[in-house]
Amino acid sequence: MKALDLLDPASAHVLGFEWLTAALAPVSSYGERHFSELRPFVAGEERRAEERARAIARLASALDAERLDALRGAFDALPDAAAAIARASLGDVLDDPNFLELRRLAATIERIDELLADLPEQRPIANESVRAIAAALAPGGPKETGFYLADAFDPQLELARERLGREQAELDAARGREQEHAARELGRDGIEGDEFIVMRTEMPGALPAGIRVLREAPTYLLCSLEYGDASLAVLARRDAAAESVANAEERVRTALSAIVRDHAASLGAAERALGELDVALAAARFTRRYGCAPAEIAQERLLRFERGRFLPLEAELNAAGRQFVPLDLELHDVAVLTGPNMGGKSVSLQTCGFVALCAAFGLPVPAVHARTALFDHIAWLGLGREAQIGGLLSSFAREVLELKTILTRASPRLLILADEFARTTTPHEGKALLIALIERMRERHACGMLATHLAGIAAAAGARHFAVRGLSGIPRRPPSEDVAAALAALAEAMDYTIAEVTGDERPRADAIALTALLGIDRELVDAAYRALSQ
Amino acid sequence: MRVGFEILELARAAGARKIFVVGIGREVGKTTVLRAVYAAAHATGVRTALASMNPKHRLWLRPQTLFVTARGLLPRSPAAQIVKLSPLQSPTGALLYARSISSGSYELAGAPAASGVREVVTTLAGFSEIVIVDGAVDRVAALAGSDGAIVVACGAGGAGTMQEAVDDAAALVARLRVPQVDPTAPAIDVTGALTAAHAATFLAARETRQIVVRDPTQIALSGRGGTRSLSQLRIRCRRPLRVIAATVASIGTERSFEPGPFLTAVAEATGLPTFDVYAGVRAA
Repeated sequence: MKALDLLDPASAHVLGFEWLTAALAPVSSYGERHFSELRPFVAGEERRAEERARAIARLASALDAERLDALRGAFDALPDAAAAIARASLGDVLDDPNFLELRRLAATIERIDELLADLPEQRPIANESVRAIAAALAPGGPKETGFYLADAFDPQLELARERLGREQAELDAARGREQEHAARELGRDGIEGDEFIVMRTEMPGALPAGIRVLREAPTYLLCSLEYGDASLAVLARRDAAAESVANAEERVRTALSAIVRDHAASLGAAERALGELDVALAAARFTRRYGCAPAEIAQERLLRFERGRFLPLEAELNAAGRQFVPLDLELHDVAVLTGPNMGGKSVSLQTCGFVALCAAFGLPVPAVHARTALFDHIAWLGLGREAQIGGLLSSFAREVLELKTILTRASPRLLILADEFARTTTPHEGKALLIALIERMRERHACGMLATHLAGIAAAAGARHFAVRGLSGIPRRPPSEDVAAALAALAEAMDYTIAEVTGDERPRADAIALTALLGIDRELVDAAYRALSQ
Repeated sequence: MRVGFEILELARAAGARKIFVVGIGREVGKTTVLRAVYAAAHATGVRTALASMNPKHRLWLRPQTLFVTARGLLPRSPAAQIVKLSPLQSPTGALLYARSISSGSYELAGAPAASGVREVVTTLAGFSEIVIVDGAVDRVAALAGSDGAIVVACGAGGAGTMQEAVDDAAALVARLRVPQVDPTAPAIDVTGALTAAHAATFLAARETRQIVVRDPTQIALSGRGGTRSLSQLRIRCRRPLRVIAATVASIGTERSFEPGPFLTAVAEATGLPTFDVYAGVRAA
């Protein structure tokens, strides 16, 4: 899956593109090749993107977990026969492992087609060529998990092997007679192995004929048994028979390779269909596992979803036994998001980006209902991408350079997600910069959301204002200094819901409550409250 | 073939279906031992599998022998029956399991890491009654705690003097035969290898508890110091190995030993049934 212009590396990192890629990974090499070529849909391809997501959702609802697992198992065990097909198409003579790969490819395609036979939308992958290869290689053994260039492939091969078997038996017998003779001459029961030692004290005189000395020690000799005239004659016949077998075997391989060559184009088409199906099944598994639904893809620039989730964080929370609180949001130009620390502003932005990202790749999105444009660039600005630019610049300078890069891109459909942009400069200048940025985004017809702690920006820019509801009361400080306990108390007291703010913003003191919760002494906290009220 | 039969019988008596032949150095007759055991197994009609931990090991195989090789080493003729393709990679390419249908010369390929050795041996055991492996001492961990047996081959090629060869054989056998831990007695677990430094510390502290390693290959002690540590400390393992026999090869490229005394000395030092495959005899 290639993000191309949709995401720069830092935005991809913040929005969980790597996580998404891993969650969608297919299992076969055919799937991997197709997956590596996937690119986001762009403006003008709205219908195709929507159709793909709907097809994946239908596949997800048509296949239960058991069948998805069976299909995954089939793809996982699928050998990669692409090189064999390519070699055959170039006129090479294939080897036996290649034939096994092709045999297993044909058998697996048949199995996959069987597993999907009741799905009317799913066209069978097996074509005439797949069936022709299966038939041609069938004499290779009763099980498609193995392959042998069996006699059944060619009567001449069978005859050649019979002859070789006779000559080998004759050679073994001749060698056996020579070994027995040598053993008798040495006064032994038998000779073990190709090499043996003869003690000089045991030698009746000179060594018997046919025994060759390989190495001499002071008291013994290391010897081997030479081939006698009778054995040499049979050996020559055995070698000639072995050559006949080799020639016959190669003729069979040549004939089988020619069949593969003749069907190479159609086999390639079946391989591509396998790759597409593997990728679609991985997406269907993703859809089932994370409860995703196809988004409606809009021509206009907007992003709207109900109960949207940022799946990388949801997975992390679930692993820790906690729940993600789904979000509802609607963006049709630029909006401002405010709220307390740890209230989920950043996650809200990430959810926006993740939903838009899934939709761009024609995937069902993690939301109950969604409607979104196909953005051609999703840009993350601010917190979370600090490490992406060199250390000689200040935080503010880095952000400005990032913004410059985003604004100089020719992206007609831009989604900007700014997390506390300009937080490190003076509040009044930061506010001015954010207001100016909103104006520029409007000029560009960009969509976006700017999360900030600075007050009064939405009103000054005439933008919609959303806010995280925040703490519903002051959470009770846990008796211990345990941070995890403090976070649990915070999560219990925090209302992560996002609501549109109409009218004046009410000043809140959530940050001071959070400070108290995390263990700062009461005296300092009280002083902060006093200062706030003055 | 008598030696091969006897080793095979020892393995059977120990309930072993996997036989690793390991050598102390080069030119110690390891392949000769392997051939002898293989010939005996084939002659008795046992479904036999062969593997090698050494790259490119060429052997003459009889029909119906299962073996592991690399794709690039599989001969085009005589054709073999390919039983299974393996995802394991060796230095000579992806491994596969094949069965010889005709007699012929085939090259066995070495499995990569210790985990690969275990996978290869387990797979071969699934298709055969006995697996014979041209092994390596640093790979025998694959047999630990399993139905495997080890034959230690030593010879004139692996040592400067006969006494040195005998000492090395005794030290290796003692190391490989470290007993299983007694779960009821006090013990100290050693994570990773038990080195000479560990052993020196334990000896200095007059440690009397069991010193426990995962398996005997984790004992990195050799020579006289190693023998002393093994005799004075209560070294134990969680997954023991079974050593069933030793073999000797008295003639090497650079030196040779007297076969009879060498055979007797190795038998006495190791306490194992000991064979001279070249002479076709067993130590009394």
